[in-house]
Amino acid sequence: MNLTINTTINGKAVSAGAEASTSLLEFLRDTLSFKGTKLCCNTGECGACTIIYNGKPINSCVTMAADAIGADIITIEGLADGDKLHPVQQAFIDTGAVQCGYCTPGYIMSVKALFDRTKKPTAEDIEEAVSGNICRCTGYTKIVDAIQLAAQKL
Amino acid sequence: MAKAEYTVLGTSTPRMGGVERVIGAGIYGIDLELKGELHGGILRSQYAHAKIVSIDTSEAKKLPGVHAVVTAADAPDVRYGRTYIDRYMLAKNKVRYMGDPVAAVAADSPAIVKQALKKIKVAYEPLPVVIDQEEAMKPEAPTLHDDMPLPKNLPEGVKVKNVCSYTAVHVGDPEKAMAEADLVVDEVYETKMIHPQYLEPRIAAAQVEPDGRITVWANAQAPFGVRTDVARLLGIPLNKVRVLATELGGGFGGKASGITSGAAIEPICALLAVKAKRPVMIVLDKAEETISTTIRSGAKMYIKTGVKKDGTIVARTGKVVYDAGAYSGFGAMAGARCTNMLGGWYLMPNCHIDGYVVYTNKQVCGPVRGPGGPQAAFAVESHMDSIAAKLNMDPVEFRLKNTPKAGDKIVGVPKLRDVSLGETIKTAAEKIGYKQVGAQFIAPALGKNQGIGIATGSWIESAGPGGGAVVKVNEDGSVTVHIGKIDMGTAPRFGIPLIAAEELGVPVKDITVVNVDTDASPWDAGTVGSRAIIVSGTATRLAAIDARNQLFKMAASRLEASPDDLEIKDRQIRVKGTPSKSVPLATIATAAHNIIGEVIGRGYCDNQAMMAEEKAHGNSPPFTAHACIVEVDTNTGNVKILKYVAVHDVGFPIHPVAVEGQIEGATAMSIGQALCEQVVFDKDGRTMNPSFVDYLMPTINMMPRIETTLVHGYAGAGPYGAKGAGEIACVPPMAAIANAIYNATGVRIRTLPLSPENVLRGLKEAGKA
Amino acid sequence: MDYFEPKTVSEALSLLAKHGAEAKIIAGGTDVMVDIKYKEEPGCLVNIKKIPGLDGIRENGASLRIGALATIRDVETSAVVRDRLPVLWESSHQFASLQIRNTATIGGNICRASPSGETLTPLLVLEAKGKLAFADGERTEPFTAFFQGPGKCSVGSKGLLTEIEVPYPAAGSRGVYLKHAVRGAMDIAMVGVAVLITPDASKNSLQDVRIGLGAVAPTPLRATKTEALLRGKPLSGALLKEAAAMAAAESSPISDQRSSAEYRRWIVEALTRRGLEQTWKAATGKEVV
Repeated sequence: MNLTINTTINGKAVSAGAEASTSLLEFLRDTLSFKGTKLCCNTGECGACTIIYNGKPINSCVTMAADAIGADIITIEGLADGDKLHPVQQAFIDTGAVQCGYCTPGYIMSVKALFDRTKKPTAEDIEEAVSGNICRCTGYTKIVDAIQLAAQKL
Repeated sequence: MAKAEYTVLGTSTPRMGGVERVIGAGIYGIDLELKGELHGGILRSQYAHAKIVSIDTSEAKKLPGVHAVVTAADAPDVRYGRTYIDRYMLAKNKVRYMGDPVAAVAADSPAIVKQALKKIKVAYEPLPVVIDQEEAMKPEAPTLHDDMPLPKNLPEGVKVKNVCSYTAVHVGDPEKAMAEADLVVDEVYETKMIHPQYLEPRIAAAQVEPDGRITVWANAQAPFGVRTDVARLLGIPLNKVRVLATELGGGFGGKASGITSGAAIEPICALLAVKAKRPVMIVLDKAEETISTTIRSGAKMYIKTGVKKDGTIVARTGKVVYDAGAYSGFGAMAGARCTNMLGGWYLMPNCHIDGYVVYTNKQVCGPVRGPGGPQAAFAVESHMDSIAAKLNMDPVEFRLKNTPKAGDKIVGVPKLRDVSLGETIKTAAEKIGYKQVGAQFIAPALGKNQGIGIATGSWIESAGPGGGAVVKVNEDGSVTVHIGKIDMGTAPRFGIPLIAAEELGVPVKDITVVNVDTDASPWDAGTVGSRAIIVSGTATRLAAIDARNQLFKMAASRLEASPDDLEIKDRQIRVKGTPSKSVPLATIATAAHNIIGEVIGRGYCDNQAMMAEEKAHGNSPPFTAHACIVEVDTNTGNVKILKYVAVHDVGFPIHPVAVEGQIEGATAMSIGQALCEQVVFDKDGRTMNPSFVDYLMPTINMMPRIETTLVHGYAGAGPYGAKGAGEIACVPPMAAIANAIYNATGVRIRTLPLSPENVLRGLKEAGKA
Repeated sequence: MDYFEPKTVSEALSLLAKHGAEAKIIAGGTDVMVDIKYKEEPGCLVNIKKIPGLDGIRENGASLRIGALATIRDVETSAVVRDRLPVLWESSHQFASLQIRNTATIGGNICRASPSGETLTPLLVLEAKGKLAFADGERTEPFTAFFQGPGKCSVGSKGLLTEIEVPYPAAGSRGVYLKHAVRGAMDIAMVGVAVLITPDASKNSLQDVRIGLGAVAPTPLRATKTEALLRGKPLSGALLKEAAAMAAAESSPISDQRSSAEYRRWIVEALTRRGLEQTWKAATGKEVV
């Protein structure tokens, strides 16, 4: 059975078909070619597929595509303003927090959502915001640096 | 620390490729889409050890939407392997681990692939399974490879089976020295299998071109190794295979197929594309990755050391039993390294270690981040603390007492040119809170159930295959660099562009390092072994100098100067000391069109020359010391790391932030192995924790901030005195944490992981909980 | 696979009645989506998230009513939960990751009936009840009678959990939820222990004590024998030791890839002890002696 998904992605109305079993991640990547959102564990245990759904960070791999109906979704492709990077994106580059870069889009979405909640996050806020995002490259040190740098810039 | 004579070397210019990564431009293997592509999937053995009686693919082939179903019968009867040629790309006659590929399907959708795989009927005759490598050596163990002979160099009278490689390390007269020791400490340590768990799943894609050539896309660390495997296993010449590397979402050695010949999916994908006559792409599921791809093996290590009362080490004997898994893979190399490193990197006048690498019914050993080193160091550096405790010496002092100096030898290194070990130990001690009073080191006062631990490490990254670079100067003065190593957050797009920019006097943003295309890039063994900066860095430097010399030759007449008197600064070729006499680099690069066509600089990292240099003047390997403070919950066994310092000698850090990033990431991986990571098997050889639900890697909340310090002044074999940095930080963490737990509780845990359960069990057995 | 988005509870119930065991209810989807991918696809999916009115959290006299569709994050960020039901707050705060908490619902966590379900032991010690809707009417059932085995609960395949009623604990009571896991974040509890105690008016003895144990039996459970041992007594060191050992004996854990049964018992003992000590101190201002 094919569902019609009318949704808003990065401020633009989008309409496309999906199966009920389709995850939002598959819908974004395979149907709509938003390849910036990454597939990794596919079980909600790594954060690589994090997007902002109605203002909140969620794992798109364990969310139904059907839940996109009527929702407001922001993906990594929606952060930069033309060629001007979002301060969080710039901070990840400037601090060396981007090694292989595969966790980076999900990480940036979680951090963006953190700054949407608070402009002055504490260490606990940061830990809470990104404990659901695994990075295998950095050991997290440079990522914390990036978040703190972005906090100064925002 | 940037040296004054350099413009960009030693700065941390943001990595090339950063913007694509932060905006989510689809660049990784998994983002690939080929026109008209089919989805590929692999049927994997559900037995850890069994004979294949028959495979019936007829029902699968009938399923609508299925375009190809392949088994070993569809491929040439050719095996592959690194040390031993012991593996088929699709299992033939026998499966040897649960996850061994048996058949593969290409179909219109992932759902049809799934259905088709279910319809392949494989009749197995189960065989006894052996999971533990020591059990596998016993006479009663099942034989994994009937046609693989035992290693020829096995000592006489040794009765073993399933051994695929043997290494002996022998120095001096350990028996005599041991007998004369004041104290002998004899222990057994064991590490378990962990998975590299790069986040991007492995992919392979292949298509047959109109001219019959095969193009393969792979998120592989060793694209040329992939080309070798595909050509060999499909029975075609190398010039008929083109491998294009995609960007990699992490590798850590786990994506080095071609190097390891451990879990190659690319030849399977190529075979499917040939049979289906359509492009095919395979994406491994994460759980499938965990059970099937190459891993960091477990090792059992017997270690016995004799010391004098004053703390001088006089002898060591030991044995390593290293798990190769079902095929030799990288096991022989990793096991040999582990055996060597069990001899330690301290003064060791007398030593004998036997190293056995053994087949078991588990997935295959790969070259995961410091193959053999972290395992050995867990034993060596825990053992050092055990000895220090028995001697009633501080662990820092005991280590310094046995630290070599320039001109000394250590196991595996006949002559040391420079030795940073002592400085790294002292610096780590100071950073973690020790106070030095005279020759004495006073540990800081700590709270209840808190402990301090230190451990050191070393690594050899200067030996290995060579590699080249091609530096092309475009007519606008921008520069394109071809190397054979891929970028996975490592030197190719951090340090390498800086080297080209430095030598050619252009801004870093004028440099492009292109990804590997085996049709165009220089051959290379791959981004492995902490060797990107050594091999590609050296080659890029020499290639850039070669290009510069060509530019100077052409510019010399125009500037009425000798080529030797020229320099390039800020995109200008100018006469040294007379900056007004200059010509834009772009002008000369354009003029080249009418002379030689294009300025193409070539450079090589000549491994033989590097070895000869080391033989003549000695080796300056990297050393490191890590120290930490932990707190142990003696009711639950939980260990929390309160502070962690990592002190490293990387020679000259070409890109300091990249170097720190490598150190911090490698440290985190071994902290994971120390505290929570382990691939768990049941007795039948089934992986009990294949998904991320149960395979626990460190998350940010459990990680301390890793405080990295670089020590300077010990030039390495790499360009400008650089040393490799990608693996060595994996070496000390497990022992550093184990030593801190011992310091906190008096309990020595000798089997990894230092999980809450193992720690609490240790406390209870010691009557301390 | 068929897919339905009922707009009312009765519509959902009739879909369940019609499709029987073929039907699978989905709300947040954090568990069901994984099952669809890695286990069997159900015959049809009944997405109850579009039913209005099932996601609120509201105070109702002496209890808090939590809609089954409230997300774990809704529970975690509710000021009333934080203030009056700290045991539940602690478990929702330690639940998986922020991303999962933003999606997973409390109703889903309950009906999943996993022995390690994070919110379950707090709900057991709070003596919360579930409002269950069936085709033949509604009934309210205490969670102490709700769980039947791993993945099995009273709601069955024909009913719907619509609301959770959580009575506020008595004045002066103190509770704690202790989760034991290796990693802490995105980690299933190896053992979860919830303790809620109410001292007598003079703060000398335990007037009421409730202990919930998670991940150590086929269902989350109350350590009733341990509770009986403690009730009415001052918490001495000797009693504490006896109670912790009894709680361990009341558990019946299994060995799996996460830990051995023996270790889980040790942890039940350690955390029961710790939970009682902490709550006793918080409620009475006294150390256990």
